[in-house]
Amino acid sequence: MGHEIASPPAPLPVGRGEIERLTCLGDSRPHCHSERSEESLRGDEVTGMRERKEKHVSTNLGEVLHCEPLVSTWGTSVGTTDDMTDGTATTQERAMVQPIVSMREIDKRFGPVRANDKVSLTLYPGEIHAVLGENGAGKTTLMNILSGMYQPDGGTIELDGKPITIGSPSEALAHGIGTVYQHFTLVPNLSVIENVVLGTKTGFVLNLSKGEQRLKEVLTEFELNTDPNVEVRHLSIGQRQRVEIIKVLMRGTRVLLLDEPTSVLTPTEVEGLFRILRRLREEGVSVVIITHKLEEALDVSDRVTILRGGKNVGELGPDDIASAGRAGARQRIVETMFGGMPAAAETFQQHVATGKTLLELSGVSAIGDRGEIAIRELSIQLRAGEIYGIAGVDGNGQKELGEIIAGQRKTTTGRLALDGTDYTNAGVATLSRAGVGYITDDRLGEGVVPGMSVAQNAALKTINRSPFSKGFWLDRKAIEANANTLIEQFSVRTPSAQTKITLLSGGNIQKLMLARELAMDPRVIVCNKPTYGLDLKTAQFVLQTLRQEADSGKAVLLISSELDEILEISDRIGVIYNGEIVETFERAQVDIETVGRLMLSGRAAVAGSAA
Amino acid sequence: MTINGIDLFDFLTAILATGLLRAVPLVLASLGDVFAQKAGLLNLGIEGMMLAGCFFGFYAAYHTESVPLGLLAGMAAGLALALLFAVLTVHLRVDQVLVGLAITIFAAGLTGYLFRDLFGGQNVSASVRPMTIRIPLLADIPIIGKALFDRQLLFYIAWLLVPIFAFVLNRTRFGLNVRAVGENPFAADAAGVNVIQVRYLAMSLAGIMAGFAGAFLAVADLKIFTIGMTVGQGFIALAITMIGGWSPWKIAFAAILFGMLNALGDSLQIIGVNVRTEFIGMFPYIGIMIAMIVLARRTSVPAALAVPYARGQR
Amino acid sequence: MNERARMSSISILPIVSSVLAIVMAFVIGGIFLEANGKDALHAYRILFERGLVNGDGLTETFKKMAPMLIVSAGLLIALRASVWNIGIDGQFMVGALLAGVAGAAVAGSVPNPLMWLIAAVAGIIGGMLWAVIPALLMVKFNLNEIITTLMMNYVAVNVCAWLVKGPFRDSSVVAPQTKQIPLADRLPFIPGTEVHIGLIVGLLCVVVVAILFRSTVYGFCLDVVGRNRKAAIHAGLPVGRLAGSALILCGAFAGLAGANDVLGIQGLFKANWDPGYGFTAFALVYLARLNSLLLIPFAFFFSFLLVGGDSMPRRADVPTYFVGMLEGLMLICFAVAVYLERRWHAISERIRGRPDDRIEPESSSGPSALEGLEISS
Repeated sequence: MGHEIASPPAPLPVGRGEIERLTCLGDSRPHCHSERSEESLRGDEVTGMRERKEKHVSTNLGEVLHCEPLVSTWGTSVGTTDDMTDGTATTQERAMVQPIVSMREIDKRFGPVRANDKVSLTLYPGEIHAVLGENGAGKTTLMNILSGMYQPDGGTIELDGKPITIGSPSEALAHGIGTVYQHFTLVPNLSVIENVVLGTKTGFVLNLSKGEQRLKEVLTEFELNTDPNVEVRHLSIGQRQRVEIIKVLMRGTRVLLLDEPTSVLTPTEVEGLFRILRRLREEGVSVVIITHKLEEALDVSDRVTILRGGKNVGELGPDDIASAGRAGARQRIVETMFGGMPAAAETFQQHVATGKTLLELSGVSAIGDRGEIAIRELSIQLRAGEIYGIAGVDGNGQKELGEIIAGQRKTTTGRLALDGTDYTNAGVATLSRAGVGYITDDRLGEGVVPGMSVAQNAALKTINRSPFSKGFWLDRKAIEANANTLIEQFSVRTPSAQTKITLLSGGNIQKLMLARELAMDPRVIVCNKPTYGLDLKTAQFVLQTLRQEADSGKAVLLISSELDEILEISDRIGVIYNGEIVETFERAQVDIETVGRLMLSGRAAVAGSAA
Repeated sequence: MTINGIDLFDFLTAILATGLLRAVPLVLASLGDVFAQKAGLLNLGIEGMMLAGCFFGFYAAYHTESVPLGLLAGMAAGLALALLFAVLTVHLRVDQVLVGLAITIFAAGLTGYLFRDLFGGQNVSASVRPMTIRIPLLADIPIIGKALFDRQLLFYIAWLLVPIFAFVLNRTRFGLNVRAVGENPFAADAAGVNVIQVRYLAMSLAGIMAGFAGAFLAVADLKIFTIGMTVGQGFIALAITMIGGWSPWKIAFAAILFGMLNALGDSLQIIGVNVRTEFIGMFPYIGIMIAMIVLARRTSVPAALAVPYARGQR
Repeated sequence: MNERARMSSISILPIVSSVLAIVMAFVIGGIFLEANGKDALHAYRILFERGLVNGDGLTETFKKMAPMLIVSAGLLIALRASVWNIGIDGQFMVGALLAGVAGAAVAGSVPNPLMWLIAAVAGIIGGMLWAVIPALLMVKFNLNEIITTLMMNYVAVNVCAWLVKGPFRDSSVVAPQTKQIPLADRLPFIPGTEVHIGLIVGLLCVVVVAILFRSTVYGFCLDVVGRNRKAAIHAGLPVGRLAGSALILCGAFAGLAGANDVLGIQGLFKANWDPGYGFTAFALVYLARLNSLLLIPFAFFFSFLLVGGDSMPRRADVPTYFVGMLEGLMLICFAVAVYLERRWHAISERIRGRPDDRIEPESSSGPSALEGLEISS
């Protein structure tokens, strides 16, 4: 840990040509082509793993990054892997390898809830290990224990066979365990280099210029062409994630934890991330990715641990995956993940919207919270009886779009009309009365009032209307009766209507918010990420409810970063990119590849891309 | 050039000299407060810390007749209250506004009590002689010479602290940690920065500087203590920190501006303009509000200001 | 949970911790006095006797209670909406000045009740006037009201002094003060006592505020704004207007308190008269846990503290400032109590189990003035 960025810059031995070789690796290496057979892919990976085992650790990228020249390792190790295409690692061979981390019987309780119930995880050097599970399965808790954020209530953690305790994130870093959190932990107002240096321990005075050149080289290695002095807030999400990875690697990280790393990335960015992870694996870094996305886990990982309800329910090693084949592995994982329940629910019947246009946005623009142009001349027509899905990568103006329709955000240009009547910048109260319902994605932040009861929250949006109030005065009985009705209709799990809202689970708060909105009988329903963080059952309930509302003649705008759920219930799909709807599809005509590219680049055809 | 028989140069010298002197406590307290605010601590106890610095500084100086000891005592008092603030807000995570006000109320009561009890409410002055340094040649420059280069040692020290604080904030590891902790404590923690420790250090610095500011006022400048003598200067310093956009240089500039506003009354009276002191007296306070209006949209408050941090909660 | 269970769950814990905080403050204050060579027990006996036991002192306490009640009722409105009005002193002064001027101007020429009404309205207008400025700055320019209200306090001190030495000065006396309202024209006593009817006004104010938060849409909306501003925006509430109106309303109460003191006790406004109720009201409202009806016992408590504190210098050789110090200590101890309460909740939740299926601990968004505070009407 003595070395870090301030040490004298080492010459970069990787020549221009080699860098190019590195950057095109993703394309030249067979497993980057998704079309190729899964069997041979697995074989490859496993071979690579055995190979790495032999030369393990000496080329640890983390160490390399900060104290040694960037060895021309990537080129050579890749070469070796390419040569060895026949071998498969056997169980005996792996048994000889000592795990780098083993977590045994980890217990962690929050109140009465056992988030982790004797969970074990074994991580070998130079492997990519996916921890799979639904939301609430205990994945993040487990990771937070390994990263020092939480202290376990029971169980042991061993590093290189020696028991350790991890009292804080900095202790984890000292042990070589680095974490990339789902919500990135970069300070937006600091520069890239300041973020990288943050938390390292050297002299009192910072000498950033010394490390700058070095960092520039590393950034290039990671396909990032940014100036180290640029403030992080100017970077895209994908770029930030790479800075985040560089940051932890430069601390000599041997074990890299990533929490839901793909949830904010576009398909192409995901590919880029996986490319980096594979390269790190070649260097002997062990990678843990926490995810609920099965396909991604299969794409990138050597080993899969599956959690359900805070318990280990299964583990698939490289052999299992190789022998079962991708399809077989998927089948097995699905069974363990959902306890036999089918993963994908039955698709809803599609409808052709025939109703009249209820909501019309024409040429609407708006400014975002940070003063940027969030929505550019956007136009949408929403018809009665349809669900219109807005697909897009987070941060492309989805939240602002929802807020505009709800009246929470002022537009700078354009017009908003409801059923033909102009409601441009009419404000929340007016739009709400005119029949717009908005379900925010920020449940605790703005959806409900913490500290108030379920009943009060249920009446929040209509408190100044009958029956909840008569003129100046509240009618408490009506407020409570209303809440009880909604609780029953939507089976909200709460001890009573007087319980404080924050004591409810996320899913139940979401149900209550949905109930609250539908009780106002809106004509247009806008919902932003309505299933985010919900368990499968509640998510299905929410989606079904939205479908029913649309079927009863309402217009629903479904904003989500989960393409799957948009495809599941929408009649039409618009792709939002950089504040514009770049393309609209009827559900039947959707081509997922095209949608993915649109989400990423705003263009259907990407020049020079090997798609 | 004369107005009403008063030399204009003399007037300008007087306003500059008094203004710079009045600015010293403001700049001292603000410089410390930059670190507190940048670390995410909204310190409404600053008024109390300054007042405590006044009293304990004066008390020590009165008995020892030593300026350095007076200053040390003032700083110690500020530090003690700052640590109290830190324990309550950083460790116990109680609302910062509540704790800040509590400390200001407490310090006002404590200093009033002690002054009445120990001095019987008599207005006595400390017989201290702050060291004055006249810089040759420079002091002979018209208007600014006397105002800038014929002052007591502490005056120079105070202004010298501006570049030092700017350096510490922008160019040192501690400064970097402070800036990160106030902007995104979670990120700082994940990067291995000890958030609690950084906040304690930043708060301690703020307390010491507030105590220093108070001690300067009571020991080096006025040499007397009166109950409630800071009359909101701590709060003004807090506002100046915001107006100055958390940059020590801009803060120094803002402090000088308000020092001048403060000195305006005295200076006008010197040249014989008949204005009510009450009328002049409200200038700095109104000035603060106007400055805030003008600068309101341009400043970006540290994102985690007044937000307590607990690991594992976001 | 049925209605009765709910009633009992409006637990007494918050009150207990307030009381404990007060006791702790007294203990620490006592140790301080002893260390300072005073007889702490004697001093405390004087403090309590004067304000509580002596008939005379009790009257003083009740007189003091009137402005306390009015000011804290107003402050409660602001704080429930998370508006930090620290400018109560300024609003009080301007209110008192205008009430004094208006009252004296019409005294004798109109019936007394009308004169009181005019003076009260003048006081309310004065207080509101002083709160409108920071309210506008807060709503229009998004300026932090803590700083603006503080600054307005100091402006008020200067403006009032200037006015009372200039335009509003009673030229017949040497001291800078407004014209006196004759003793006979001041507020009458509550029958059978020597406490003027301002106390009843104060109690009414508290009741009004209690009803406001318990049964009105406006009070409900203020609570929403105070607890989660973003949710208020989301729900379509006019957040700026609500917060601004809470500040102005608070100013109105402060101004009324000023009028009350002028009409009931002082009869005039003097330069440099600053009773400094603002900080005391803060301590009071916080210790009453932002609960309107609890204001009454706590106002009584703080009133006898102030009254008792006034007699401490003479009879116990303890400077009056001791009470101010005690208030600070109470708030500091209260801060600790809030923390302990939170710990207690966490522990008892672990023991009882929580009625949810939540996995991760979630924190509420951002800082809140209401953090850790029990609010029920």
